[in-house]
Amino acid sequence: MLDAFEILTTSGIVLWRKEYAPVSSNVINSLINDVFIEQRGQKSSDGGSNPAYRKDKYTLRWTSAKDVGLIFVVVYQSLLHLSWVDNLLRAVRALFTKQYATELKKPHLTNIDSKDFDPTFDALVRKLDTGSTRRPSEPDSDAGVIELTPPSSTVSAGEEGADEDDAPPPLPGAPQFKKPAIPQRQKQESAIVDDTTSADITPVPTPDASRPSTPAQAPSHLLTAKAGPGKASRRARKANTSAFATSAPASSGDERPSSRAKGGKASVKQKRRWDANGVATEGDDDAVLDYSAVTSDPADGEGELDVDDVKAEDMGSRTGKGQFVLKDLDDEVDAILASSKATSTTSTSQTPSDPSGLLNTATSKITGLFRNVVGGKTLSKADLQQPLAQMQSHLLEKNVAREAAERLTTSVETDLLHHKTASFTSIDKTIRESMAKALTRILTPTSSLDLLRNITSTIEGPTARPYVISIVGVNGVGKSTSLSKIAYFLLQNKFRVLVVAGDTFRSGAVEQLRVHVRNLSELSRRENVGTVELFEKGYGKDAATVARDAVTHATNAGKGEMLYDVVLIDTAGRRHNDTRLMSSLTKFGQLANPDKIFMVGEALVGTDSVAQARNFAKEFVDTKGQLRNHGVGMDGFIISKCDTVGDMVGTLVSMVHATGIPVVFLGVGQHYGDLRGLNVGWAVDKLMK
Amino acid sequence: MAGQSTLESWLTWAFSPSISAILVTLIISLLSPILIHFYLYRKAQSKELPSFLLLGPSGAGKTSLLTLFANGTSSKTHTSQTPSSALCALPSTIRSTSDRYRSENDTSSQPQFLLLDTPGHGKLRHHALASLTTSTALKGLIYVVDSAALSSSAGLTGAAEYLYDILLLLQKRHTGAKTSKDPQALPVMIAANKQDVFSSLPTQMVKTKLEEEIARVRATRSKGLMDSGVGMEDAGEEEREWLGEYGAEAFGFGQMEEHGVEVVVVGGSVRGEGGEKGDVEGWWGWVGENL
Ligand SMILES: Nc1nc2c(ncn2[C@@H]2O[C@H](COP(=O)(O)OP(=O)(O)OP(=O)(O)O)[C@@H](O)[C@H]2O)c(=O)[nH]1
Ligand SMILES: [Mg+2]
Repeated sequence: MLDAFEILTTSGIVLWRKEYAPVSSNVINSLINDVFIEQRGQKSSDGGSNPAYRKDKYTLRWTSAKDVGLIFVVVYQSLLHLSWVDNLLRAVRALFTKQYATELKKPHLTNIDSKDFDPTFDALVRKLDTGSTRRPSEPDSDAGVIELTPPSSTVSAGEEGADEDDAPPPLPGAPQFKKPAIPQRQKQESAIVDDTTSADITPVPTPDASRPSTPAQAPSHLLTAKAGPGKASRRARKANTSAFATSAPASSGDERPSSRAKGGKASVKQKRRWDANGVATEGDDDAVLDYSAVTSDPADGEGELDVDDVKAEDMGSRTGKGQFVLKDLDDEVDAILASSKATSTTSTSQTPSDPSGLLNTATSKITGLFRNVVGGKTLSKADLQQPLAQMQSHLLEKNVAREAAERLTTSVETDLLHHKTASFTSIDKTIRESMAKALTRILTPTSSLDLLRNITSTIEGPTARPYVISIVGVNGVGKSTSLSKIAYFLLQNKFRVLVVAGDTFRSGAVEQLRVHVRNLSELSRRENVGTVELFEKGYGKDAATVARDAVTHATNAGKGEMLYDVVLIDTAGRRHNDTRLMSSLTKFGQLANPDKIFMVGEALVGTDSVAQARNFAKEFVDTKGQLRNHGVGMDGFIISKCDTVGDMVGTLVSMVHATGIPVVFLGVGQHYGDLRGLNVGWAVDKLMK
Repeated sequence: MAGQSTLESWLTWAFSPSISAILVTLIISLLSPILIHFYLYRKAQSKELPSFLLLGPSGAGKTSLLTLFANGTSSKTHTSQTPSSALCALPSTIRSTSDRYRSENDTSSQPQFLLLDTPGHGKLRHHALASLTTSTALKGLIYVVDSAALSSSAGLTGAAEYLYDILLLLQKRHTGAKTSKDPQALPVMIAANKQDVFSSLPTQMVKTKLEEEIARVRATRSKGLMDSGVGMEDAGEEEREWLGEYGAEAFGFGQMEEHGVEVVVVGGSVRGEGGEKGDVEGWWGWVGENL
């Protein structure tokens, strides 16, 4: 069914994992890279169910516990449709964060001894696994795990307790006294279906572990004459066990036998327990799959032998830890699932401490204000709402597109919700810091572009060829100017540059480029750097063909030395909503096959730069129908006219956010030298000012 | 009004030569320095744990190394998104320099230190730079590289560029700090990890490859575009932007010494062949020397 389940920290350490089949760690790594870091492909709102991510033949679903920095990932084959894994994720999240609450809070967390979690997890899977095709309430999947046992009957039943009823298919035991069990079972089934809390569903720990506890249940209603006296006592013990187990949420396989043994000795205790439970009516019985009384026997014996001496402390420590009982676990799971149904996911552990309820009283309001200044406040949605709205309008003022601003504020909100502010840090400051981080992450390219390095390695060596760069964009954004600036920069580095007039459309475009080339040529002659030439075929020709011819010309048509190192292709400006012209870009991209395609966008306020960027990016598909540059289309943005907008550099963010394409150059003035690389810190400062 | 009069009466009492006033004054004046001392002392102590910072490209093995140093065994890991820290103690076989004269048999308290892990992903390196500038009591940097990945040109360039950025930052910090109180020379260990992998480059090779590549990075960076953060006035300060010996064609880690940065390359592996323990003695040794 599942291939793997992992619980890892945001710092990358796997705290607990279960692998059913070997899964390469690349699978989860790419989930982290694509979804968490690059934040790609999450545009659909994640209402309710956890989003899915596909990699190779796997589907991954995940959920996270932000307050403790954990991520829960489940991996399974894409062929299967496992609707229940959402419930599993939610339940595991709630139980794991509760069970290891203290450990998770410790600073310098690098490791948790989480072996104990295995049985809990197995129990959960067993409880929740409805298969990919089976109906949820089918007897052998769900009901098998679950049984109601009237407390009163327990002891006596324990005596004779034979094998359980039909429920557990593996143990076709001897379903003799079924009657009492059946109605209850039905009750439970219905309960499960409703996801209500009442059902006593006891997740069964790992198969071996489950065996001992099984009898506890079986005794209750299933009376079989099989058991001899010796057996009876074992049963009793088992009953006990389950009672104890109740107090030890995560008892591992070996602990269990010990408690069992104990039970055998202190039969009185046992009884007391049951009584107590009796008050809570059905609560006590641990529903269990009775896989086999028979198989458990040998294990039982061993358990007794080894464990007798250990019991005492065992017991103590368990009760000390207390409370978290198998039965509770059951209720809890149901509660978790129910609550997550009602309000999309609130983990049980968080519910009680919800500050919004407390804040109603005057005193806590005052402390709230105080904490706001001093720090140490746990942030609720209400606390964040207003400052976030402010932050959003601040971003809008900086010319960040609404869509991007909303995404950013949402990501800050999820980042900070249930987060405790540091001491002497106000909410505002916390939000600003988080926002600065989000902006930095968006603007920083995954790998930095070293254009000179790329060019040098392309034009050298046995497979040397000219490096081809083309520039696209809508009309009037400064394509030719930006191209000339790049040409100037390359000339300074002593490359031989061929400028191609690919705008065969707008009259005057070729002349404009010719002027630029003449100026550049003059400049570089004076400074004794590289050389530059214009390649043009007049107007009316197909731009893609011109570009291809230019590249051939630069390689000297294959005979001898290359004539140029870099080919810079200008293209016709086009409205991004002009479908006919836009689609010719695809052919251009395939024919000229540039090493880099840069799009020029304006930093000016009020331009629909996001729509432009999206429409351009989607035209650059290769012959196989794949978008260029790892599926983002283009290689970088050149943002022109940055000198005219002051601090309002929001366009940078909007364009990168919409496309995932990095900003590589900024145009900052009218001179050839006014081209800059992007300094992310600088941009973030301006945006946060 | 009422407030003022109470204040007045308090003042009158405080300045009166009555025994109780003198006593209260005495108690306050005696207690306050003690309290302040405790306050400051505790603050200082909690901060003072020496720390080492783990840096390096993604997938190099930083987090694995952190778990190994902290727990004695390395956990399974995935790409990190956030920095983390771990409390580590020097193993008893390693002596820190300050501890050298302690008796061999005195293993009572091995010195402790903090190990800070940072994400290596290109978009998340600001965490590393932040820890580099904010961490007090930083004793050294551990730059982890995957010795096997260095044989591909992309892997080599990635590792060299990040290392170049770090070294340049340290160099600037050193030159800039001359005047202020603490130039704080930080040693750097390049941990050539994954020596257990058969395709990995040997330690010496890791060193030369990185040096050659940094020389190339340095050459193109010096010719590259200025970035938008640089004002016109600091243009022309080319010398400050040049890593190592100014104008030199080749780069060697030795050139960093005059800038107060001592770089060593030490091989090792977090994982061992066939599931056995890796080889981290050399790294522990370096940590011990610099603690
Ligand atoms: N063979 C081998 N594999 C190693 C060694 N050290 C680490 N690895 C593996 O390398 C992978 C990446 O290790 P991490 O520690 O997560 O890398 P990281 O440097 O923290 O990466 P980021 O968190 O992305 O920056 C893991 O799968 C490790 O198992 C080693 O010495 N030998
Ligand atoms: Mg890591």
